[in-house]
Amino acid sequence: MSKPETPTLDLRESYTEKYGFHDEEQHVFKSRRGLDREIVAQISDMKGEPQWMREYRLKALEIFEKKPMPTWGPDLSTIDFQNIYYYVKPTSEESKTWEDVPADMKRTFDKLGIPEAEQKFLAGVGAQYDSEVVYHKIQEKLEKQGVLFLSCDHGLKEHEELFKQYFGTVIPSADNKFAALNSAVWSGGSFIYVPKGVHVDVPLQAYFRINTKDMGQFERTLIIVDEGAYVHYVEGCLPAGEQVSLGHTWVNIETVDRGDVVMDSNGRESRVASTRVLPYKGDMLTIVPLSSANVFRLTPEHPVLTVRRRDVAARRAPRGNWKPEVSSVRLRAAEPEFVPAGQLEAGDFLVFPVSRITRENEALTRDVVRLLGYYLAEGSTYIHKRLHQPVVTLTFSERERESIDEVKALIHAVTGKRAIEVAQPSRHAVNLVVYSQHLRDLCIAHCGQGAAEKRLSREIMELPADLQAQLLETYLKGDGSVYRKRKHTMARACTVSRTLAWQLQELIARQGHFATINVRKGGPDTIQGRAMKRRDQYILYFSHDKQQSQVRKCEDYFLVPINRIDRNPFDGPVFNFELESSPNAYVAGGFAVHNCTAPTYSSDSLHSAVVEIIVKANARCRYTTIQNWSNNVYNLVTKRALAYRDATMEWVDWNLGSKITQKYPSVYMMEPGAHGEILSIAFAGKGQHQDAGGKVIHCAPNTTSKIVSKSISKDGGRAGYRGLVKVQKGAVDCRSNVNCDALILDEASRSDTYPYMEIEEDKVTIGHEATVSKIGDEQLFYLQSRGIGKDEAAGMIVSGFIEPIVKELPMEYAVEMNRLIQLQMEGSVG
Amino acid sequence: MSATPELVIKDLHVGIEGKEILKGLNLEVKRGEIHALMGPNGSGKSTLANTLMGHPKYEVTSGEILFKGESLLEMEADERSRAGLFMAFQYPVAIPGLSVANFLRTALNARLAPSENDGSGAVPKKRGIAPKEFRALLKEKMALLKMDESFAGRYLNDGFSGGEKKRAEILQMAVLKPEIAIMDETDSGLDIDALRIVSDGVNALAGPGMGVLVITHYQRILNYIKPHKVHVMVDGRIQISGGPELALQLESRGYDWVRNGKEAVAR
Repeated sequence: MSKPETPTLDLRESYTEKYGFHDEEQHVFKSRRGLDREIVAQISDMKGEPQWMREYRLKALEIFEKKPMPTWGPDLSTIDFQNIYYYVKPTSEESKTWEDVPADMKRTFDKLGIPEAEQKFLAGVGAQYDSEVVYHKIQEKLEKQGVLFLSCDHGLKEHEELFKQYFGTVIPSADNKFAALNSAVWSGGSFIYVPKGVHVDVPLQAYFRINTKDMGQFERTLIIVDEGAYVHYVEGCLPAGEQVSLGHTWVNIETVDRGDVVMDSNGRESRVASTRVLPYKGDMLTIVPLSSANVFRLTPEHPVLTVRRRDVAARRAPRGNWKPEVSSVRLRAAEPEFVPAGQLEAGDFLVFPVSRITRENEALTRDVVRLLGYYLAEGSTYIHKRLHQPVVTLTFSERERESIDEVKALIHAVTGKRAIEVAQPSRHAVNLVVYSQHLRDLCIAHCGQGAAEKRLSREIMELPADLQAQLLETYLKGDGSVYRKRKHTMARACTVSRTLAWQLQELIARQGHFATINVRKGGPDTIQGRAMKRRDQYILYFSHDKQQSQVRKCEDYFLVPINRIDRNPFDGPVFNFELESSPNAYVAGGFAVHNCTAPTYSSDSLHSAVVEIIVKANARCRYTTIQNWSNNVYNLVTKRALAYRDATMEWVDWNLGSKITQKYPSVYMMEPGAHGEILSIAFAGKGQHQDAGGKVIHCAPNTTSKIVSKSISKDGGRAGYRGLVKVQKGAVDCRSNVNCDALILDEASRSDTYPYMEIEEDKVTIGHEATVSKIGDEQLFYLQSRGIGKDEAAGMIVSGFIEPIVKELPMEYAVEMNRLIQLQMEGSVG
Repeated sequence: MSATPELVIKDLHVGIEGKEILKGLNLEVKRGEIHALMGPNGSGKSTLANTLMGHPKYEVTSGEILFKGESLLEMEADERSRAGLFMAFQYPVAIPGLSVANFLRTALNARLAPSENDGSGAVPKKRGIAPKEFRALLKEKMALLKMDESFAGRYLNDGFSGGEKKRAEILQMAVLKPEIAIMDETDSGLDIDALRIVSDGVNALAGPGMGVLVITHYQRILNYIKPHKVHVMVDGRIQISGGPELALQLESRGYDWVRNGKEAVAR
């Protein structure tokens, strides 16, 4: 999966130069490029740190400057330390309540007829995502147990005594050049304290720490597991919830993966070249366009395809507190450009691209499509319990005789069966019933099942526009209403399925009309005298013959004004991906946004973290990392744990992404009975070098350790194991076992094994096994001879290879990991 | 039984690393038939099996292989398998970490699912056998081969004994239900009990729906699997074909009899 390198970089660079971190309004403080005493001191000042930490940082900087670049591993000579921004402090937090919402905005709400509860929701006052609820519940439970789980910055602020007692004791600044760098400029990361005897039964994930401080690219993590306690910490693989267009439907951004096809800002399909998750702390913008259901969130740095209102203003005096009027001619002629979201203002125009993806489908004839439109509005399907027959029913009002007759004719044409007409005089309704598996299959395949789950199939979304018009027409006869307003014909439709609402908006756009969607919030309600819980409703409005007065139609897109922009503090992961196409831009919430340029410093970035863990007597800690950085990141991380009497420390370390990774998690077994375990997996593709492994240091007698390393290399990638087993003088009766296997997928790839042993005692048991294998032609042929395609076969061999370590992951990660591996393997053989 | 044979091999020449092994081989196998192909070491028996299945190492220099009327030569091994061809390997390879059940389900689903690329660029729909249904199927077939249920969870051929490997091959055949099955020296390395179990399995599967080509060095397996036709291959060509009695003749007179006297024997 190669991506067109040059256009992407050009866009990014010009963006950084033009808008980057020079926007004074966005940041309270930004450091200039490069690293020196002044910058380090500034970082400490901005964080309001105690004097000892400031001195610690400055001392670390001196060490960093003195230490030479390590030359024993991968080539790091291309890192330009002076070209990096080391710290950006976002704007001060502002808390937002309904009272803070500006008066003119409230008026706009009133004009639009949005009830207050919904206004509050839109203003970002209410909780927006279920995940936050989950977060609060977990936080509550942790607090009850006395567990501390916060950012390292907060850890220092709020628990200075405890923090100072352990910080830097496991990995001193002088340990290595990159540990020194981290010690000088660290920001963010996690601080965890688990009190004596407490078992934390859910894995703590970086994700759950949403309301705390920032994690930088130089994050610092400090974990203390007190006697007899247990914790599992997971970093990586972080979920969130923004909707991204795949052209035919929307998905949560975090589910987008390398190789997936999404719709780009030109309405064409494009493949995702890479994905990344970045920790982010700062303002999160909520952009509410004219069509308020199309609201979306992004970071202020995130570029959005826009026409600025001020650039297309009409030469007319402003009227009252109206937004400046625009000149339609200038607006249509304007070339939309990418502008960082933080610079946008209410009234600016967003670009709503219209999908250009069209595929004919023989099965979807005019009759079928019209019938599906009716079904979408009026139908349901189920299996008759007694008869075990598949049933499709459509319900109409008695007055809709014309529709009833058409549906009967359509059912006959599509299924060859006659629909049974059942009158329900008490409800003034007519039911049409047909027993047809064929129709049931069609309906489920193309419309989904259940009102809230209704959605259109990809085939429907990609039909030619004239067929889609048929579906819209019959759908609107059911769920919609068409009425005259002044001289114009307006259409209104209502559904409880958000996906369907957005899909209809897209279909309507392909007819040349822009539909607005507003949300009517659900909640307790009384319907026909009965207390009910009403679902959120999505209400679409559009006109066949009148352009929305505030929206402009251009050739391939609509320009839709922003009604309001909210700014709220946010702390958590943000998601982004890069496309293979140029421009490197996609569609979020219906509108074109650029791939995020957030903290990217130059074409290559540096991630240099330090993780220190103390596992006290009888305690156990497991630390799982799933590293999938984009392929321009130098990932140089120092991780070390101290394990005391009868304690267990386990590192599960996955390295899939990055350009170069150097990471050797280590366990120091300080007292008898301690056990250390390292499971390391490295996958290196084109242009990647994974120098992974682990170190176990036996400092006390009767300690045991195990290292299992699996490395896979393909497409010229280089993956390997570099490890150390050390037994100090006096540490008798130790046992250690090292097992490293390498799998090489093609001739161009490479695997290295550097097992170091420093054994200063005789009475020890040390085992070492290493294998290097190639995916053999015989293995591939064997699987292929059973009907399995070549790529899938290779994927199965790789999955089998790492199976012993996948088994150690929590279920959802194991599934995800197998998927990632399959993806990495696509097109890799043959 | 069908009129045209499912498998038709015409004047097949095959080489490996420039050396010609098969030198004009002709053979036809129909569904419902059991053929035995016998020959001394180095006569090209395994080359034929691997060439039929599409091993990339073997190069077809001339001739034709038709399967159900279509040429196999341009097809990859997986396509041949999905078309209904099967080979039981002489030396099945191990795939550590891949369980027998997982492997077989993937293989079965590869048959049930539509081809990966129909040219439309659309994502192929996930179809295939439900896990529950599959477990029942696997259990039934394992019982047929007197295999312990724990077998399904073991890694494919990893640490299997010789007998277990061969039984696993027949299990795959039972699950995938090919139209033509080639059994490459399935009897080698089997003790008498294992041989009986494997043969019983093959006999249970063979029938009007499946044709079998049993490739073997020894006559022994033919005591259990009764062939309709026997072919003797020497030096890359079938030298004699005949009924079941030919196998017995060979057993008593040896392959030299064919080498030396082939001209004298009517074909």
